[in-house]
Amino acid sequence: MRSSDKELLLDLLVMQSTQAISDEENKELQKLIKVYPEYNNYEFDEITSLAHMSYHLDDNRSHEVLPNELKSKILNSHKQIDSLSLYKIKINEFMRSLFDQPTYAWAITVLLAIGISFSMIEFKNYDSNFRYLPLERVLLQSTSNDLVEYPWYSKQSDFAMAKGDIIWSNKSQKGFIKISGMPVNDPLKNQYQIWIIDPLKYKQPVDGGVFNINATDQDIIIPINPKLPILNAKAFAITLEQPGGVVVSSQELILTAPELRPSSTFTL
Amino acid sequence: MASLAINQSNYLSKSMTGSKKTKKLEDSILFSLAKEEAGAFEKLVDQYGNLIWSIARRYLSNQTEAEDAVQEVFIAIWKSAGRFDPNKASEITFVSMIARRRLIDHVRKIYRHKKLEPIDDCFDDDALQTKSILDQSTDVKIISEAINQFAEEDKELLSLSIYQGYSHSEISKLMNIPLGTVKTKLRRNLIKLREIFNQDQHSIVSINNA
Repeated sequence: MRSSDKELLLDLLVMQSTQAISDEENKELQKLIKVYPEYNNYEFDEITSLAHMSYHLDDNRSHEVLPNELKSKILNSHKQIDSLSLYKIKINEFMRSLFDQPTYAWAITVLLAIGISFSMIEFKNYDSNFRYLPLERVLLQSTSNDLVEYPWYSKQSDFAMAKGDIIWSNKSQKGFIKISGMPVNDPLKNQYQIWIIDPLKYKQPVDGGVFNINATDQDIIIPINPKLPILNAKAFAITLEQPGGVVVSSQELILTAPELRPSSTFTL
Repeated sequence: MASLAINQSNYLSKSMTGSKKTKKLEDSILFSLAKEEAGAFEKLVDQYGNLIWSIARRYLSNQTEAEDAVQEVFIAIWKSAGRFDPNKASEITFVSMIARRRLIDHVRKIYRHKKLEPIDDCFDDDALQTKSILDQSTDVKIISEAINQFAEEDKELLSLSIYQGYSHSEISKLMNIPLGTVKTKLRRNLIKLREIFNQDQHSIVSINNA
């Protein structure tokens, strides 16, 4: 490798510590880090953080006070995520103890199958912003080491005000959409549908569930509900479909994430 | 996206090679947080809330985005608390690294660069608490003194890039210097800063061990 490659690596590491880098730059960076394993992605994070603190110390105008309302939100988030994690641990322990007893196992399996069927029907038309959705989203962000995150890009002028992002973890098979500025829909006439593009596994995009928008001026969080197991989600899209959604869409794309479609032979 | 915390130990052991701090882990808020002590998270927010909010407001002018990002930062710090090692970095450095990493990632999702709006003067007693935390940090002082020794153009470059969040191409236009020069100077200045910092850490250890 040429010394200019090492310089390029250092330049990209500096950029990574100081600004948002593009997907192409990140790809190049990861390629070079494999060649120079003595470097890692966070090479300059410590020194740039210290330099930032040093400038911050000297800049009296930038010393803001955390708003009390935000402080309360942060403390409540922590309490609820902590309780949710503890709740999940307890449920898992309880379920394990039940399945250890064969006489209960078959009964639990049947009940779960019935329960899951009902919840899948319900989820098709769930209300956004279930109480725990924002916390579940934060939990997924904080605990996943394979998280992909993309902002939404509008493909139609009617949806130009739409803003938000999508996060997804292949390992957890979970993801969330956060969105605002979408036009309100009439659920009796149409519903928004999420699509997951997984080119290695499926020729067609996978149905990620339908949702309604009942307000345009606030962030709405929607869990992604894939109908099939996802191997490696490469992109996401939203269309407007008939109530209940469709198996294969023939509608125009409203939003995509990322902006450019991965190369594929898909019809969507 | 890989969490900062996963590679934290690799990163810190490389950049702080040979240096030792004598701080006790047990004195840190992060240690209490990792042990799930009651009230530890609240102490974390009390100690670093103003600082992290101030950093977030520099990166994100939209109040809602900044609030979301700050919540994510605190949850990320909570989840990473068990990886904190005071022999490798100070608590404030650890906290600010996670905060900046999360905020840069957040900006990457939203847009490339935000125009920094002037912030109203609110240098009150609560804001003084942030100043005092930073004042007490030996690490920050070392870097501050090192930056002050740089030539004016280099100081300006570092400020525009690290503190004001301009991209390399934006700095090239602002300062009217070639893009290649911006990249080279920033790279060299940061490497130099890191060398100075590591040397000073060695000196502190020598004095402490004398």
